[in-house]
Amino acid sequence: MKAKELMKKVVGGTLVAAMAITMLAGCVSKTEAPKADTKTEDSGSKDSNDDGDMTVAMLPKFKGENYFDACKTGAQEAADELGITLLYDGPSQDQATNQKQVDILEGWIAQGVNVIVVSPNDPTAIAPTLKKAQDAGIKVVTFDADAQEDSRDIFVNQITAESAAKGLLDGAANDLKDKGYGDSKTANIALVSSSGTDANQKAWEDAINALLKTDDYKFMQIKNPETDVYYPGTDETKVNSECATLIGRMGEGEDKIQAAIGLSSMATPALGAQYQSASSKPDAKVVSMTGLATPNALKTYIKDDENPLNAGVLWNCMDLGYLAVQTAYQLSEGTITPESTSIDAGRLGAKDIVDAQCVLGDALVFDASNVDEFDY
Amino acid sequence: MNEKKKKASFLTTEFYLAIFLVVVLLLLGVLAKDFYSINNMMSLLNTFSYILISAIGMNMIIITSNIDVSTGALISVVCLFTAALGKAGVPFAGLLPAAMLMGAALSTLNGLFITKMKIPAIVATLATTQIFQGVLPLLVEGSIYDLPQSFTWLAFEAKIFGIIPASVLICLIVTVIALIFMKYSKFSKKIYAIGNNANGARLAGVNVNRTVVITYAIAGALFGISAIIIATAGQRVTNTMGTGLEMTFIAAVVLGGTSTAGGSGKIIGTVIGAFILAMIAPAINYLGISPNWSDAVKGAIIIISVVVSGAKYLKKKRVIPAEKLAKAGGEAS
Amino acid sequence: MKKKLLKFSFNKALFLIWLIIFFGIAIKSPSFLTAPYIINVMLRNIVEIGMVALPMTLIIITGGIDLSVGNTMILSAMLGGIAYTRWGTAAAILVTLLTGAACGLLNGIIIAKAKISAMVTTLATMYLFLGLARGISKGDSIYSYGFAEFLGNISISGLPIQIWLYIILAVIFTLLLGKSIFGRKLYGIGLNINATKYSGVNTDRMLILIYTLCGIICAIAAFIFLGRFTSVKYDAGTSFNLKVITIVVLGGTSIMGGVGDMKGTILGTLIIATLNSGLTVMNIPIDVQTIVQGIVLIIALIACAVVTERSKKKRIIKVDTGEGIKSETA
Repeated sequence: MKAKELMKKVVGGTLVAAMAITMLAGCVSKTEAPKADTKTEDSGSKDSNDDGDMTVAMLPKFKGENYFDACKTGAQEAADELGITLLYDGPSQDQATNQKQVDILEGWIAQGVNVIVVSPNDPTAIAPTLKKAQDAGIKVVTFDADAQEDSRDIFVNQITAESAAKGLLDGAANDLKDKGYGDSKTANIALVSSSGTDANQKAWEDAINALLKTDDYKFMQIKNPETDVYYPGTDETKVNSECATLIGRMGEGEDKIQAAIGLSSMATPALGAQYQSASSKPDAKVVSMTGLATPNALKTYIKDDENPLNAGVLWNCMDLGYLAVQTAYQLSEGTITPESTSIDAGRLGAKDIVDAQCVLGDALVFDASNVDEFDY
Repeated sequence: MNEKKKKASFLTTEFYLAIFLVVVLLLLGVLAKDFYSINNMMSLLNTFSYILISAIGMNMIIITSNIDVSTGALISVVCLFTAALGKAGVPFAGLLPAAMLMGAALSTLNGLFITKMKIPAIVATLATTQIFQGVLPLLVEGSIYDLPQSFTWLAFEAKIFGIIPASVLICLIVTVIALIFMKYSKFSKKIYAIGNNANGARLAGVNVNRTVVITYAIAGALFGISAIIIATAGQRVTNTMGTGLEMTFIAAVVLGGTSTAGGSGKIIGTVIGAFILAMIAPAINYLGISPNWSDAVKGAIIIISVVVSGAKYLKKKRVIPAEKLAKAGGEAS
Repeated sequence: MKKKLLKFSFNKALFLIWLIIFFGIAIKSPSFLTAPYIINVMLRNIVEIGMVALPMTLIIITGGIDLSVGNTMILSAMLGGIAYTRWGTAAAILVTLLTGAACGLLNGIIIAKAKISAMVTTLATMYLFLGLARGISKGDSIYSYGFAEFLGNISISGLPIQIWLYIILAVIFTLLLGKSIFGRKLYGIGLNINATKYSGVNTDRMLILIYTLCGIICAIAAFIFLGRFTSVKYDAGTSFNLKVITIVVLGGTSIMGGVGDMKGTILGTLIIATLNSGLTVMNIPIDVQTIVQGIVLIIALIACAVVTERSKKKRIIKVDTGEGIKSETA
């Protein structure tokens, strides 16, 4: 009998201790959280319900990669300048799904943040949640990628699909022409996209396809869209292995691929790296690679003469984050409305707003001559 | 080459798999000649290397009738850890042992957790997965990029005869050691004994808990080697490098004929299993099929393979399986 | 009698853990303790996982496991969505349910008839279902339709319809496991499949039945999932599998089979729901949330290990008293 009693007490005691630890764990992580979130919340976000303190919540497609890190730096800069609180959270890279984004958004809606700034993984799927936010009186700004038009107030667009596509194709075309391709000698190109549902990549792909039909670019073609457009998603290891497969298919000849274009900031560095590690590298004199990526991620490959990755395309990510938060702030303050035609965006000066879209600017093409000027 | 002798002796799962592999390879030769381009073969071998090295570790764990679903997260941690060292300029000669030690340490944690707390391996490692995954972003915000040449040396420069990636050599060494070790060492007999009948092994004087923990530690060191191959593939290391890989490793082991009930399984089967899994994605691409189908093919191959080898087993021993199932369930606790 | 006391204490402890977490969070963050948040965020977000955890409890009690539930759910949602665009709502409902049932049936047949271990089987079918969903959708999203939106978003007398559904299913499953002969037989299979078989239970059929049932529940969850998120992509179910298992294990069901009950699973669901939404509302980054969940799971496992250790001794007694066997042969 006594043994049993004792056992019961032990079990009970263990559980009580367990609960204590759980709570402790909760508390520990509470104190750790702001630190982990790179000082974003040092002004006490827990009072975010207070009307006096504006809270802007920023949700990237995923965390933990140069591109959005750079956006965040810009966003933080704007938030500091304006004296507002910036919340920043997002799914991890391997879980860059709509579901995760919705989960985070619902938490923010419940707390009543003032503005939500989001880069959706799926433009249609996120719309109902964004509408819910709007119903709760929260302003919604999309940046980097758009959502359904009726579910957001303003879209801060980094670049139009046309100029992105043109920038990318020019990068490839110029290089290919230097290497002797042209109307008399056609070239096969392959694209490494992100996922099939990504609004940006889809728009760029469409714009690229449209441009390929025009005279200037028709010497390049995507031979078989089934196999020549890769969708490795956002997982680093998967991107690497699919790029390795692609590099293996590159070389001279009709059944080979002569140019690879990376459409995501993960794919392009992976192309560079996989070329570097390929055993028998396709001759850099007959193939070409280019794509979107942050300058830092491409630096070494661009500077390496042996590597056919000679140019990268991007916009200024920090400015994008900065502009997004500026827009969010002014929208919430009432300085601008979706109908406005321009915004005075702090250090960036005035930017035009057309059809509730604010465009940051043109593509930034960087190559060996200027890649060192950027640091992100 | 080695398999040939075994084929002659009896019709094992490995034999069927080897036949299947040869047929597929021949078909690929006819349908997609480019598949055999040096470049593709070498990148395939590189993928094969890191899958196999970890799968060997996983195989040892599964033979003890345990499992590890935290491997992917563990590899992510090790990748990030080595990247931090690499950023500081530590050369490969330092990175490799560091990665192995780190992997072994984390894996030992799993082993201790399972044996000391008497928690079934699958749920114990499920819990540590969450902890590994959660700790990562606290260590490094975002990714570590612009890694120096000394870090990418393994992938970019280390080539044997200027062609074969050094990862293949590492893999070869690991495999040979594993083959000898699993065949002749006393320790491996203990592993098999525990998987077959943990209580029996205990009664026969085997320190079950210690053996399991050591097995996890060895496997962890192997995961560490895989991690370094994965991490050095580019100049950037993010915190999700290994996510999802654990399923690939388990699949390679299962495909190779190791039973998850424990007590059986050969390294050579795992080698073939790992090769098939490494081959599927590029093969599909070269055959002109959309990569969207690669997972379905993977699943179908595993199912058919286990059902075929299972059916063979059923025919031989009609009554035993149910008993064995129950026994495995009872013992593992 | 003794066993009951012990069981009771584990569930009670779970309940206490839940209360502490719940009120701890509520004190820290007032916006958490509002009816709309608790109903619309906390409870709604867990429904699909909680729902699938119910049949998963049955499976784990028999000593099995199903690693393919999330992928079954996504595949059914996708085929349903595609069927809707071709043939309309009725077809969509039928296709979704049939897909779920077929996936479960496939698992069940391989496990019961080919005697392949549940983990291996469902690992393989996980790839298969994931791959089929990916191949069929070509990587695109599938969007929701009227019926799914209805299930995902409509409220009846203050509670979203999916919560009603969950409550109904939870009651049914609690009765099924706790009060029916069917439930007793499941424990029997988990404790000793051979003994159960030789005492006249068609164990193969039982196993096939519960895996199929699990597939059907996945299909029901698929409607809600699709309705709530308005779209699904092929990889949406990948992390779902382990979450479901986490909940069941947290609820005190032993992964070795034979031990566990439905109330524990329901409490486990509540704890995870509270943690998920509570930590979000406190602006704790997702990564830290994972750690906290991991720690809670570890604690529950250790506590459960202690309890199981005790009840393992009871197991023998229970079989001796003949109570279990009688009901099985009946």
